[in-house]
Amino acid sequence: MPANAGIGLRAPHHLHVLSESPEVSWFEAHSENYFAEGGAHVECLSRIRARYPLSLHGVGLSLGSTDPLNREHLANLKRVVARFEPALVSEHLSWSSAGGRFANDLLPLPYTEEALRHVGSRIAHVQDALGRQILLENVSSYVQFTASTMTEWEFVAGVAAESGCGILLDLNNVYVAAHNHEFESHAYLQGIPRHLVQEFHLAGFSRIDLDGHDLLVDTHGTPVCDAVWDLYLAALRRFGNVPTLIEWDTDLPNFDVLQAEAQKADSLRSTLNALAA
Amino acid sequence: MPSLRELQGDVLDALLGAGLARVSTLIAGPRAPAERRFDVYANTVQSNFRDALQSTYPAVRRLVGEDYFRQSARELQRRHPSASGDLSHCGQGFPNFLAQLHPDDGFTYLADVARLEWLIQESLLAAEHAPLDLASLARVPPADYDGLRFGLHPTLRLFESRYPALAIWEVNVGDDAEPPTIDLRSGGNQIAIVRHRLQLQFLALSPGEYCFLHAFARGESFSAAVDRGATADADFDACAALQRFVAAEAVVAFTSTIKT
Repeated sequence: MPANAGIGLRAPHHLHVLSESPEVSWFEAHSENYFAEGGAHVECLSRIRARYPLSLHGVGLSLGSTDPLNREHLANLKRVVARFEPALVSEHLSWSSAGGRFANDLLPLPYTEEALRHVGSRIAHVQDALGRQILLENVSSYVQFTASTMTEWEFVAGVAAESGCGILLDLNNVYVAAHNHEFESHAYLQGIPRHLVQEFHLAGFSRIDLDGHDLLVDTHGTPVCDAVWDLYLAALRRFGNVPTLIEWDTDLPNFDVLQAEAQKADSLRSTLNALAA
Repeated sequence: MPSLRELQGDVLDALLGAGLARVSTLIAGPRAPAERRFDVYANTVQSNFRDALQSTYPAVRRLVGEDYFRQSARELQRRHPSASGDLSHCGQGFPNFLAQLHPDDGFTYLADVARLEWLIQESLLAAEHAPLDLASLARVPPADYDGLRFGLHPTLRLFESRYPALAIWEVNVGDDAEPPTIDLRSGGNQIAIVRHRLQLQFLALSPGEYCFLHAFARGESFSAAVDRGATADADFDACAALQRFVAAEAVVAFTSTIKT
């Protein structure tokens, strides 16, 4: 995967990408959106894949759930990985189901030894089934669990050590969680071993007011904010030239807005590299 | 401390509307009250489900309006939560849910429009298939015709309704600001939905053709399917029907019990 910034591929941009072949280093697509056996989305991604490097990013495997791993979902994931041959495959460090019922949202885990061992063994199982390493993404969160006995970064690093997975460090999620739970985002970066991080995500958040307290919500509906660009520079200094992705989901703008965000990431990285040289 | 399994069960109950009593002791953190922050998740869980439902059921959404659709989505999710990490499945129970809500009133047709929309989504997501191999069919000895079993295109779905559901669907997924009114008594549907590449087609079927294809869908033999067609429709012409469905790439495969 090139170290230049890629763009999160969303269905409303499929036809633009196919007709214009815009200059983009790579795309990342949500695995579940291409689980179908056939149809327009699958057809578009096949054609886009023929022109660009691809990463597949899952949102529905519910890795942290105590329900049995959904075999059908895993079989579908294996099928799309075989079909599209992505350079990277990633999932979220979260859960979304209990008792067979799915919330279809990325819910945080309590940061406990029990959860660490559980999710670590699930990831190892998924990696065995896929026959490859996966990357695990840290999620945004709005609540913490009283059961937690360690910091989020200790948990993330511990799960990676337990399972042998890599880390997809979402810097917007680090920033959002740091604000919401009042910790230092740079302490988070320092807590993640350098060699584990293989991808960054950058996105925008929204700020909501709850009874006079502001809470940051990971909406992926705005440009990357200055504070997250600062965190990106700090992350580049610590983890090096890691492939970076621009994500945008709600109120999806024209494609050139996403290209401009990707160019900004590339430009910051080049400047930093020139200064370090 | 609860186990991870207990914690997840309690959180999911609360997200699906069971109230916050059990989770309020589990969650913590600075800033706004934990319950208010928990609502951010509850709202997302509802809106993700509703958005997925809306993308599958655009015509029903338009027919019932925003408020009723929101309320229906909420109630459907409470009664039949998503059972998959892939949200494209979450609306499967919606037609039956609407049928139970409107068993015998002026809105009974809604469930049929919903059933049609579900089948359209299934068709849109199904696998592609090559046309029937006519050369190998020509090699089957006539004596073996009766035992042939024909296979339908993977995107083919059969639909029937006593209402003009297809016409209702068509006017409600178009761009018309004021879609024309369809008379509910203007005749029902017996149709086959089939997709080739990006082209969705609706084949209007006679009662004989409908039963003929239904027999294929159930894996019945050619002779059994011919009988089904003839029982439904005295004038049913099985050869003409088969030619039509092969040409339309609705029938795309066959198996013979005898090696050809």
